[in-house]
Amino acid sequence: MNTSNATGDRRLRFDRLVAVFYMDMFRYAAWLCRDRSIAEEVVQEALLRAWKSLDALRDDAAAKQWLLTIVRRENARYFERRRLETVDIDNLTASQSAMLAEAPNEELDDLREAIYGLEDDYREPLVLQVLMGYSTNEIAELMGLKQGAVLTRLHRARLKLKEKVADEVHS
Amino acid sequence: MSVMTEMMNCEDYKKALTADPGFEDDSGHAASCASCQDYRTELLALDVGLKAALEIDVPEFTMPELPDLDTDNVISMTHRRSFSKPTWFALAASVLLAAVFGVRMMDTGESYGTLESQVLAHLDHERGSLQVTSTPVSDSRLERVVPESVATLNHEAGLITYAQSCTINGKSVPHLVIQGERGPITILLMPDEDVAKASSFEGANTQGIILPVGGGSIAIIGEREERLERVKQNVLDSVTWDT
Repeated sequence: MNTSNATGDRRLRFDRLVAVFYMDMFRYAAWLCRDRSIAEEVVQEALLRAWKSLDALRDDAAAKQWLLTIVRRENARYFERRRLETVDIDNLTASQSAMLAEAPNEELDDLREAIYGLEDDYREPLVLQVLMGYSTNEIAELMGLKQGAVLTRLHRARLKLKEKVADEVHS
Repeated sequence: MSVMTEMMNCEDYKKALTADPGFEDDSGHAASCASCQDYRTELLALDVGLKAALEIDVPEFTMPELPDLDTDNVISMTHRRSFSKPTWFALAASVLLAAVFGVRMMDTGESYGTLESQVLAHLDHERGSLQVTSTPVSDSRLERVVPESVATLNHEAGLITYAQSCTINGKSVPHLVIQGERGPITILLMPDEDVAKASSFEGANTQGIILPVGGGSIAIIGEREERLERVKQNVLDSVTWDT
């Protein structure tokens, strides 16, 4: 195989993977950082990283986990560079508010706000389980936690959300 | 998820279900418990709502400009300390120390008092790390060995085949091995080992360099024939400092 063919094949492979997983990458990034603009930056950086290291991905069946891991690291790197403050849900920027302003109905709006208000430690495994369809084992692997810790976080996350939803109903 | 099914009661069942609504109840508890059945229905409904809430709109995809590639073994490191200007005293002390190290290296080549010799001694002690392999360390292991509070590694860019927390000069140091052109290459991230300038050294069949990086240093050790300059450049190019 000559060089240009190899480069073309590489690009083709990359485009195919990105086409399949771009939405997951963006949503994961958005729920990690809770800001659409930052999520776009994080995903762009993650794509660059993924492109440079595509050869390290030996099995495309593992591409989703691989890409999400890159997104996770890029998000951490982004915040480490900028040392952003914790998001105050009562004082959001326009870009942060945009995360919450899209829900098609009030019930979903409340739920989205409740998820948004969860601590990072609880929100992330929930996103991976509910949105990405990951098992608790896979979440543990991606987050570098023991499975028991993941189960505890998921349990607490849902309890908090149930309480929030119940509060909304009562109010 | 595995739970001891013979011990399942309402509390256990609900707890397992709250953590994972897809939990399969092998004990048959839910089938005979109306309360738990209702709870399951409630949680499944909650998860349907959660999924819908999490599915935010995704902006139109834009592919970044992808560079031509010539990078293997890139490591990106974000230092955990701020980069401050050295005082004259610290600078003088560093130069003096470097001079002493240099003289000692030339003099005996065996002294374990220098950072270089400690690095070599450590590698000798941990020969098992130098395996030619295509199996990367797991992400979880890498994150344990190199927590984000110390450094951020671009694990994807290079094949990191070994990661271990080690002790050099009495300080905990992430010890990594990547696969180079001529064999395994050791990288020691030493955030607390301040060196005044880059130095090179040689072991029995190895060559190494120690690079000053902010308030710390990075040691890179490979086979005699390995082109360490290339690896070195990749490492340095990828360092992002706090300002």
